[in-house]
Amino acid sequence: MGEGAEFDVGPSANRGDLVSTEGWAERVPLARRRPRRRRGRDFDRPVFLRVFFIVFMFFTFAPIVIVALFSFNSTPSLQNFTGFSTQWYDEFFSNVGLRESLVASIEIALVTMVVATVLGTTLAFGLVRARSRLAQSSNVLMLIPLVTPEIVAGTSALLLFAQIGIDLSLLTIMIAHITFSISFVTVIVRARLSALNREVEEAALDLGATRMQTLRLIVLPALWPAIIASALLIFALSFDDFVISFFTTGESPTPLPVQIYSSIRFGVTPTINAIGTSMLVISFLILAVAVALPRLLGRREEENVLIGRETA
Amino acid sequence: MTANQTTAANQTSTETATPETTRGDGAGDEAIRFEDVTKRFGPTVAVEDLNLRVRRGEFFSLLGPSGCGKTTTLRMVAGFEQPSAGSVYLDGEHVEDVPPYRRNVNTVFQSYALFEHLDVEGNVAFGLKRRKVPDDEIRSRVAEAIELVQLTGREHSKPRQLSGGQMQRVALARALVNRPSVLLLDEPLGSLDLKLRKQMQVELKEIQREVGITFLYVTHDQEEALAMSDRIAVMDEGVVQQIGPPEEIYETPRKTFVAGFIGVSNLLPATVEGDGVRLSTGQLSRAALPEGSQQGASVHCSVRPEKIFLDDLIEDGMVSVEGTIVERIYLGTTTQVIIELAPGVRVISLEQNTDRSRADDRWEIGQRVRLGWHPEHALVLR
Repeated sequence: MGEGAEFDVGPSANRGDLVSTEGWAERVPLARRRPRRRRGRDFDRPVFLRVFFIVFMFFTFAPIVIVALFSFNSTPSLQNFTGFSTQWYDEFFSNVGLRESLVASIEIALVTMVVATVLGTTLAFGLVRARSRLAQSSNVLMLIPLVTPEIVAGTSALLLFAQIGIDLSLLTIMIAHITFSISFVTVIVRARLSALNREVEEAALDLGATRMQTLRLIVLPALWPAIIASALLIFALSFDDFVISFFTTGESPTPLPVQIYSSIRFGVTPTINAIGTSMLVISFLILAVAVALPRLLGRREEENVLIGRETA
Repeated sequence: MTANQTTAANQTSTETATPETTRGDGAGDEAIRFEDVTKRFGPTVAVEDLNLRVRRGEFFSLLGPSGCGKTTTLRMVAGFEQPSAGSVYLDGEHVEDVPPYRRNVNTVFQSYALFEHLDVEGNVAFGLKRRKVPDDEIRSRVAEAIELVQLTGREHSKPRQLSGGQMQRVALARALVNRPSVLLLDEPLGSLDLKLRKQMQVELKEIQREVGITFLYVTHDQEEALAMSDRIAVMDEGVVQQIGPPEEIYETPRKTFVAGFIGVSNLLPATVEGDGVRLSTGQLSRAALPEGSQQGASVHCSVRPEKIFLDDLIEDGMVSVEGTIVERIYLGTTTQVIIELAPGVRVISLEQNTDRSRADDRWEIGQRVRLGWHPEHALVLR
């Protein structure tokens, strides 16, 4: 190929500052670019990705940092940080209504997490293993909760409970949450389960393991990362769900997001920051437990799978 | 057409099975016996009327193209499939209602099917732990098995850290450590590259001789089956076509399918005439006729490529015909010459390249050539 035959690089771009013009760097023939190659400026590491990353991190974490910071502010100002105090936390925890709501939300999220994970996992087994026509259509049916707008799910749940005469309470929220959560668990666990080689289970049977032992010793260990991941997701979804909770909640206690919404109508106080920070801490704790659990049980493999790290 | 083939096939398979079952008398030296076993999956018949006897300590191969029922046969021994009709016996015991985990057989799977979350040692120890073998015995037997497959030093590696050949060895050790009565191998070398496969063939054969366990080996690779087996059952469309030692399967195939599937075979259309056959190209060839051949019946005459000689190598007493060379393929140790006898009738001759100069310029495409074979090497197949 002749020198610059296909595109005019221009005299200034010759040899010296090829790299300075980012757009050109990719199109200049490889042989001429190579001598000036620098680390971190390769064609597969464009600068815009770094910028993109920094902007992304800023918009993700800046609001969180601000909320956490102002939750310790000594004045009610949401603009100026004047000094450190824990008064908003005191206010949050001394408010019986808010405290009960927090406990209620944790309760709902934990029950939803456990029940939906168990039911969703067993459903995944059924859908992957059953080869009937019913199972095929159930696969589609199962996706419906995932695409149903929450407002529809919430109002229809409310109508249903009214129709069959169930009084709204924490129980009705749990039922509604579990219903929409099962699909998430099933989708996640099913993907992992169908990637499992059936021959591995046959190998276990072949080596003298009964069906229950095969499930316990071979299948479940392979599914743990998916099960833990979906349980985490369900906890987070249920813990901060507003729309469905709003429609299915009873009088008192109401879940925290609903409680915050009703209190915010009378004006925003920095207590919101304290509540937000507390909720964040709870979510992080759950995440930490999920990552630490496999390590505590001596199952490094699962931890690696969970956080997507390749094992060497 | 297919119905005729099947009934003919059934006859041969029962023919081969009958003397064995009567001779075997009792279960003393037999590891596996199939009696009139048929396996259907819905409307498709995977295995039809199978009669088979595998002797204790034998390296027995099931050979055939994919979908011929060989893997289904193996899975019926393992207990993953139940026969639709007929009986399977293991060590003389009827095993219809015995689940896989209570059968004294172990399987080496094509995909290896290793337990990803366990290390090499954990994989190998899995079977012994299920059988509640004492801990110190487990330790010594696992170490022994790992040594047998030459993986000492990799005890604590996870499967994903191993190469294909090493995973294959783990799968083998995991099965052998239980000292099963029969080891079932389902195309265990299928995903290895050629060189490693050849090496593992030799190793497998050595290991089998060393441990003395009966091997039931499923493969579609005829070379592999010939190289390793004591006996081979060639299967096609769920039916056993021929059972015998490798030499017999190769030298005296009893069916067109067997002749065509094992090695390269020249199948020339012919008709029975006198005490030989008349080839479709007109030449008359003496040949060993199967019993009950009728004059004028259309048959195939099969001659192995290495038994067809060209020009100056033709000896007295050979059947000789003439043809045109259409292709010459240099294969290293041999040169393959393709000769057209008549339009559409081609034969392959394999010449040993014992003389360096011959390979390069002995033949030219389009050249007329004489070819010949000993009449006893011409097999007549119906």
